[in-house]
Amino acid sequence: MWTPDGAREELLRRSGEVDRTVATAFRNIRPPVTVVAVGGYGRQELFPYSDVDLLLLNAAPDETKEQRELISEFLRALWDAGLRVSQSVHTVEDCLELHQGNLELTISLLDHRFLCGDRARHGRLEAELPRFLHRERALLMDRLCRMTRARRAKFAETIYHLEPNVKEHPGALRDLHVIRWLSLLREAPADYIPETAAAFLYSIRIFLHRSAGRDANLLTFDLQEAISADPAVWMREYYRSAREIWRAASQAMEASERRDLGLFSQFRDWRGRVSNSEFTVSRERVLLREPLELERDPEYPIRLMQFLARHNLRLARETESRVAAALGSMWLDRQPSWPSLRALLTLPYAATALRVMHETGLLTRLIPEWSHIDCLVTRDFYHQYTVDEHTLVTLESLEELRDSKDEERQRFRTLLHETAAWETLRLALLLHDMGKGGGTGEHTSESLRLAAAVMERLGVPPGERETVLFLIRHHLGLSGIMNSRDLSDPGTARFMAERIGTVERLRMLTLLTWADISAVNPSAMTPWRLEQLWLTYLAGYDEFTRELHTSRIREPRFSAEVSAFIEGFPTRYLNTHSEDDIRAHYALWSENRAAGLAISIERCEGTWRMTVITGDRPYLLASLSGTLAAFGLNILKAEAFSNSQGIILDTFAFADPHRTLELNASEVDRLRDTVRRAITGRVDVRKLLSGRRKPTITNGAHIPASVAFNNEASETSSLIEIVAVDRPGLLYDMTQVLSSAGLNIEVVLIDTEAHKAMDVFYVTWEGARVPLVRQPEIRKKLLEVCG
Amino acid sequence: MKKIEAVIQPHKLEDVKAALKAIGVDGMTITEVRGHGRQKGHKEIYRGMEYEVDLLPKMKIEMVVSTARSEEVIQTILNSARTGKIGDGKIFIFDVAEAIRIRNDERGEGAL
Repeated sequence: MWTPDGAREELLRRSGEVDRTVATAFRNIRPPVTVVAVGGYGRQELFPYSDVDLLLLNAAPDETKEQRELISEFLRALWDAGLRVSQSVHTVEDCLELHQGNLELTISLLDHRFLCGDRARHGRLEAELPRFLHRERALLMDRLCRMTRARRAKFAETIYHLEPNVKEHPGALRDLHVIRWLSLLREAPADYIPETAAAFLYSIRIFLHRSAGRDANLLTFDLQEAISADPAVWMREYYRSAREIWRAASQAMEASERRDLGLFSQFRDWRGRVSNSEFTVSRERVLLREPLELERDPEYPIRLMQFLARHNLRLARETESRVAAALGSMWLDRQPSWPSLRALLTLPYAATALRVMHETGLLTRLIPEWSHIDCLVTRDFYHQYTVDEHTLVTLESLEELRDSKDEERQRFRTLLHETAAWETLRLALLLHDMGKGGGTGEHTSESLRLAAAVMERLGVPPGERETVLFLIRHHLGLSGIMNSRDLSDPGTARFMAERIGTVERLRMLTLLTWADISAVNPSAMTPWRLEQLWLTYLAGYDEFTRELHTSRIREPRFSAEVSAFIEGFPTRYLNTHSEDDIRAHYALWSENRAAGLAISIERCEGTWRMTVITGDRPYLLASLSGTLAAFGLNILKAEAFSNSQGIILDTFAFADPHRTLELNASEVDRLRDTVRRAITGRVDVRKLLSGRRKPTITNGAHIPASVAFNNEASETSSLIEIVAVDRPGLLYDMTQVLSSAGLNIEVVLIDTEAHKAMDVFYVTWEGARVPLVRQPEIRKKLLEVCG
Repeated sequence: MKKIEAVIQPHKLEDVKAALKAIGVDGMTITEVRGHGRQKGHKEIYRGMEYEVDLLPKMKIEMVVSTARSEEVIQTILNSARTGKIGDGKIFIFDVAEAIRIRNDERGEGAL
């Protein structure tokens, strides 16, 4: 029967028992040695079936035959009494020397305790040992730390083993000893030892020994079930304790290692330069200048986390304590705002910050639902981590992918670079498994429910909320398809496209799936799975780019007028614009129908949006893109659609790097006017553009331009996919080439990411696909303008 | 005794496993593999780049059965793994010299 209480007393009692046995044997036989308890026995922590570690101090290295006989008899007596003795025989001088091959001896001496024999001899050891240890402490600490790290590496650096070894595994008893030893060697005030966690582990080990009748330390599934009727719940206690011990041991090791001087510490102190008015950095750890602000200013803790996320730093121990102490009074009347949380989620090392939030309890304070999955075990051989750890590892995987350079993951790295909305992806990952705490079985609907509640409370705007919920809803979808659907079947691709909706969502879902699989265990993302996931992504991607042209809206969901307006636009239009957007477009059109041209320009968060609705005319896209370029505006995204009545709807998202529009209100009117005149042909866009110097590309990015024709994707038009270095006026130049060649642009998708422009044009020539003979010349001209 | 090795489409794995279980074959070894047959994979176009996919993910199932049962097992795999399209895979048959159960050294067909 396992009992949580009385573990220490039990160990003390057993130790006392063995003391008496040793004393009795010694009295009867009188071996010529001084008997000293070392190791666990020296600490008076003796488990029911542990070895009894004895150090026998003799007067001189060479013993006579009689002396050896007596020692053997003594040891035999102990064995006969049922003790498993592990002894070593040394002189006091031996003990005060460093034996490279036997540092275990020195370390065991840290816990020496006189038992019987010549007190004076032991006294000499006791007097000389501190000086010896002081002299050699750097080497000993270094060795201890290295041994511990090696041991941790052997067990995959994690405490979350499904059947933990309570002696050897990370976060278990050996780690506990390491804390004590490092404190002793460092001669510092004792490091923090998590006493409750320690007592908990002692009680488990006692139970394990008693159950097996020997020195057994593995907490198997069977034994977990013997301890508790609900082992999954009980094991959470175990992992919480192990986690505390792990952290304390890590901190003790850090404190011991942070002692070097010279270049390395100079490098470390250089980081002090990133200190700002609120936070200082010392030795890679962050300290607070105004700790009281933790409770006063709701944004302060988030700014602290932003600081960590920006520079990939962790908190000093002192800061951790302050944060823990302030938790209760934090965010009582005001919550942190969504914009600052959002900013945190966009920073490069957000995963580090979130892990710190988890460790300090900040995360649970901000999102109480997080406690559902704290240390939650997934009881199968596949999942290596508890659910909370898994979630953090998914976030770390994304950053690891971004910073990696290997060939195999190049394609996924590219996908990641094309994702602008890191915060949406990260938020979805953070919340995706939260529903697992609700018992076994399907967890997605619970995750959705919790995520919706969390996002509402945090003030996440509806559009983003929708995307996050979408990602969570389908987070198992892609792996399902990848494992059980025929990827070469068009039905599969259509199935995917219907449920996912847009390429952007497909991209985010693919990355989410990639992170989810990679974080199941370190070897889960095999090359096989990587390839399957990519092929799944491709199937969806091809379907989206194909369906743009062939799948047009036929089923109206709006009033008759609006329906007539949207009929004939590709379904992508419905998928990428909300109902409000669509009604706004319709309103814009109907107000301006008489004029035959509707233009709207508005600010939208950090960028601008221009919507133009008009009848089709030649060089339309070129005129629009040229005008924007002439104003120094940088086109980020563009979409051009046409409906069944020949009405064109073009939307542009652009940035205003020179702040022309922002600083001069009249410029917006001037832009609108110029666009109108450009479309109606009253202004020559080429003249507009010649006024602006073509800028040289200074970013040093070299992206080889590529132009690919695809006549198979659609039956009625040709697809041209272009990748090139982005520059102002690029779109204008490309559309000029196409229009000059007599091609009609049916559908356009423009996307840019950093310096790369990725454009997809659906074009026709005389109402049909561009014949193969014409393609090389058009391709050549396009490559010329793409640089 | 015969060893039956089948390389099949990944999405057919569950069907094949279920069909084999239905005729009483429980023991098998499954590996994730990549490869191609005569068709040497295919070209994809993605973002304007041509993209050679020649190591396609497949599943390999291996099992050893008595010679008397082998034809039945082969037929079962054929029926459950077939889609009729290119890329369905292949089955290979080997003769097995001996089979031994590690737990108790049982040999021959009894060990299967």
